[in-house]
Amino acid sequence: MPLTKRIIPCLDVREGVVVKGVCFKDLRKVGDPPTLAVEYQDQGADEIVFLDVKATVAGQRTLHEAVRKTAETLFIPLTVGGGIRSFKDVRDTLKAGADKTSINTAAVQNPGLITECADAFGSQCVVLALDAKRKGDSWEVYSHSGTTPAGLDAVDWAKDACDRGAGEILLTSIDADGTKAGYDVELTRSVVRAVNVPVIASGGCGTIDHIVEVLTKGEADAALAASIFHYGEHTVADVKKILESKGVLIRKDVGM
Amino acid sequence: MRVSIMDYGVGNLYSIAKGLERSGGEIEIVTDPRALARSEAIVFPGVGAFGAAMDVLRPVREELRRAIAEGVPTLGICLGMQILFESSEESPGTGLGVFGGRVTKLLSGRVPQMGWNDVKSSDDPLFDGIPQGSKFYYANSYICQPTEKVAVAETEYGQRFAAAVRKNTLCGVQFHPEKSGPPGLKLLKNFVALAEGNQ
Repeated sequence: MPLTKRIIPCLDVREGVVVKGVCFKDLRKVGDPPTLAVEYQDQGADEIVFLDVKATVAGQRTLHEAVRKTAETLFIPLTVGGGIRSFKDVRDTLKAGADKTSINTAAVQNPGLITECADAFGSQCVVLALDAKRKGDSWEVYSHSGTTPAGLDAVDWAKDACDRGAGEILLTSIDADGTKAGYDVELTRSVVRAVNVPVIASGGCGTIDHIVEVLTKGEADAALAASIFHYGEHTVADVKKILESKGVLIRKDVGM
Repeated sequence: MRVSIMDYGVGNLYSIAKGLERSGGEIEIVTDPRALARSEAIVFPGVGAFGAAMDVLRPVREELRRAIAEGVPTLGICLGMQILFESSEESPGTGLGVFGGRVTKLLSGRVPQMGWNDVKSSDDPLFDGIPQGSKFYYANSYICQPTEKVAVAETEYGQRFAAAVRKNTLCGVQFHPEKSGPPGLKLLKNFVALAEGNQ
């Protein structure tokens, strides 16, 4: 069987609390990470992502405490990213209870880090976080939370990172992020077709139709969303019901 | 039942420890593999790489093989299942070789296989009470090719492969039960029950 398409609520975490950024600014508190993660698990989420949007050294300790507490009651995969700078950060984050870590800036600055981590922990633990912004006919990679152009083409960088051992790509469109106007379907499809690892689409989700679109036309393996879940507009179960009605293969409760 | 989880020094052991605890197991995290041979039950978790895990276990390979042969209940998860076999394309060197066969790279398009897939189980105590059609979470680039008839469940991902193997109380699962929601937790519970029945 092909794998089911995954629905992944993302919790933007800052100093131990969940916030949701609009274009990476104007952060607003919406809840406690372990509580929200388990709530989404019960709604049928296939995976959870924690993104540390402040990523200071002190913040990392608080984040690890939240990860540890979450891992005790979460029985679906947990990916943690934001501020992961070194091999040691990856190891410590996995040890705290994450199943995967996502790396952006550190991988751009030192691509060898991808290989080092993949060799030690396995490719499945190493997620390349790729933030891209349209530039003419293509997309440019940005590091440092979307503030710094890296001088790399998004599709080329995705391929290169996979050759180096990245096991998954978390692809965020900076143009779409926070707009609620839909994912960048074209960017997503371009990256999906260029690589042999799963691609998680992120940035721009405002409606369930956006999720349907990026998983079908965009060919993404998974869709990440935040605000449509955090503010109670829709549950993960609502999303899956609609996906199923459109013939998209999803994981559902079989009565346990 | 005291269940010893081997810590190779990498990765998340919280979820498997908590999952087994919920299943009625008393958990011990073991960093010195010599302690494993005296365990009531052993779990090899699914984190890291074949070569690195075997580097940790190789000094006590013979003791472990003997303990498993004498019936110490054992569950290998993902990589932990793979090291129960003879060898792997991932790294040179031998595995524990308590199952015959080798570990090969997945041939399908998107590798690692990362996500939820179907598991077709036979009527086996490991899958007791788990409805057919339940999905389990996979994160693997390699699969086991048993030479004996030990597969008790199968999954298809470009090719068919052993999702679960069992020989008495020696068990291996290629998916991650600790990451597979309610069906996964039930499987852990079934393993603990199987191990306890053996006491």
